[in-house]
Amino acid sequence: MNGKHDVWELLKECQIPVLPIVKASSMEEVIEVSNSLGYPVVMKISSPDISHKSDVGGIILDINSEEEVNNAYRDMMDAVSQKVVDARIDGVMLQKMAEPGIEVIIGVKLDPQFGHVIMFGLGGIFVEIYKDVSFRVTPVNSEMARDMILEIKGSPILMGARGRSAADINAIINVIVKLSEMLEDNPDIVELDINPLIVYEKNAVAVDARMLKNDKKLT
Amino acid sequence: MTLKAIFEPESIAVIGASSSPGKWGHVILKNLLSNGYKGEVFPVNPKDQTILDRKCYNSVFDIPVHVDLAVIAVPRSYALNVAEECGKKGVKGIIMVTAGFSELGGEGREIEKELLEIIERYHMRLVGPNSLGVVNAHTGMNASIISRLPEAGGISFITQSGTLGLALADWTMEMGLGLNLVISTGNKANIDDVDLLEYLAQDPNTDVIAMYVEGINRGRDFITAAQRISKPILALKTGRTKSGAKAVFSHTGSLAGSDEVYSAAFKQAGVIRVDNIEDLFDSALALSVQPAPRGNRVGIISNGGGASIIASDACERLGLTIPELMPATQQKIKKLIPEFASAHNPIDTAGLAKFETYNGIVRHMLLDPNIDALVVIYVHTIMGDPAQPAQAVVDIRRGDCSKPIITCWMGGSGTEPGVKILKMGGLPNYPVPGRAVEALASLVQHHGFLEKVKI
Repeated sequence: MNGKHDVWELLKECQIPVLPIVKASSMEEVIEVSNSLGYPVVMKISSPDISHKSDVGGIILDINSEEEVNNAYRDMMDAVSQKVVDARIDGVMLQKMAEPGIEVIIGVKLDPQFGHVIMFGLGGIFVEIYKDVSFRVTPVNSEMARDMILEIKGSPILMGARGRSAADINAIINVIVKLSEMLEDNPDIVELDINPLIVYEKNAVAVDARMLKNDKKLT
Repeated sequence: MTLKAIFEPESIAVIGASSSPGKWGHVILKNLLSNGYKGEVFPVNPKDQTILDRKCYNSVFDIPVHVDLAVIAVPRSYALNVAEECGKKGVKGIIMVTAGFSELGGEGREIEKELLEIIERYHMRLVGPNSLGVVNAHTGMNASIISRLPEAGGISFITQSGTLGLALADWTMEMGLGLNLVISTGNKANIDDVDLLEYLAQDPNTDVIAMYVEGINRGRDFITAAQRISKPILALKTGRTKSGAKAVFSHTGSLAGSDEVYSAAFKQAGVIRVDNIEDLFDSALALSVQPAPRGNRVGIISNGGGASIIASDACERLGLTIPELMPATQQKIKKLIPEFASAHNPIDTAGLAKFETYNGIVRHMLLDPNIDALVVIYVHTIMGDPAQPAQAVVDIRRGDCSKPIITCWMGGSGTEPGVKILKMGGLPNYPVPGRAVEALASLVQHHGFLEKVKI
């Protein structure tokens, strides 16, 4: 039970800004949706059997025109069905490419001793290689969220290091606090990553997310 | 329902008391009888008439008076019956030394559940099972297998590991650390960390709480309880190393290991996390005798440059700063040290360690508004007198000045006359600068918690 749809709806419900994702399952639909989103768009395969989409050609970035959409859709269907023979394919997910900004990750884990814990870190190598992240046991209020953000070693990057403009810290705080509030009503969430949340001078937007729920509690 | 019956009992039954010196039932009885405990102690064992010259009772029912606490050290197969008898007798608290319960898993877990049912049915409270006992150094109650009674003081020590706890208690005695309660929690089936924190918060004899923790069961309650306690709480939590990597769904899942979560939880709870046993007791000592500083600006005084540099480096590493002194302070210090020595922080007296030198410099630095805390170092030489600078620091009347002083008398046994004076004067002393600064960093951290976390 960890469909993209669920986590996106949940984030929207708790008023976390998300970059819209629209599902399409035919060539006509794909073109229509892409045109209405506006270019460039990103296309991702939608399949319950594929978790690492990029490994199987299931992600295509920076699609700039109707013609490119046409080719991308055909290429993706071919590549995926060749690489994962029996995969059930529901179609594709389309999203307008996000404007560049500072990528951060905000995550949740259910800890057996302390319950829900929220993690914050900068995206990409900062989280993957340096593991430069901070944690708080929920509930997390805005003051605690601010401390979490300032606590990581890379926080000067958000403050506008090296001539860049400062990122909207309050927008990050808002996401952390909203997430914390949402968790109070959702004890069955085991893991959740918003990765990346792209932060701008003003505002921030969730571009991708995934969630794992405790199935036992769903039945 | 109070835990007082366990930690300050007026009468104790030792069930499973034994006349053979190798058995715990013997050791505990002997410890209870030989450390000045003023309450009544009743050995219980149907096999003996007397043990250690005391009348031995067949069962707890035969004891003619009320019993507050029962220390149970019988084989596991008798443990439930004995607990039930205690309940019927009206015993308020039990320390279950007997092992073989949930720590073994399987059947042991089931028997522990049954034990817990008995405890709850009779409204008793239980330390353990699988506990190595409880010590109250103030009342002389040694209901444990610790070989001797620690010096009485303000540090209460909660330990989850039995044997390590005992070794640590022994070690604190070597250090001359003053303890109040030592509690070996065992399996924490009934009384757990949260209960103990709440009790120790109210206990007038406890100034500092030191914990050796392997795991905490009621995590959120622990955070809430600790936030409400202004007394310093120190925790040595083991298991920092990661267990084997497992299949992971998200980045958060892989990064939020149990250790990271404990660190976050301790920070939120206002619990000072230490990395090793030495830090645990070094910090506990400093917190038990010195006030928390208002900030992280440290003044360092030494009769040798090398030691003060080591101390400065340690400060830097732990987020403490070594600020410049006020010009007026520097002027006054210049008059106390040789001309070629410098009056900049850290102060190096260029070998001088006379009473007037140390007394004057420490006084001036305490008055300096740029300084929140002092580290006073004395490096012993064959010509030196460690007592003079020690007396010089102890003699300073600090009045309501809340700046802590940490001392470091280096040079082994030669420093002993000075070390004695420092201890009598309530100054925490350490043999090397690194340990002194670590302890000071805990004081600073506690102040931060008082400002930000504590309710």
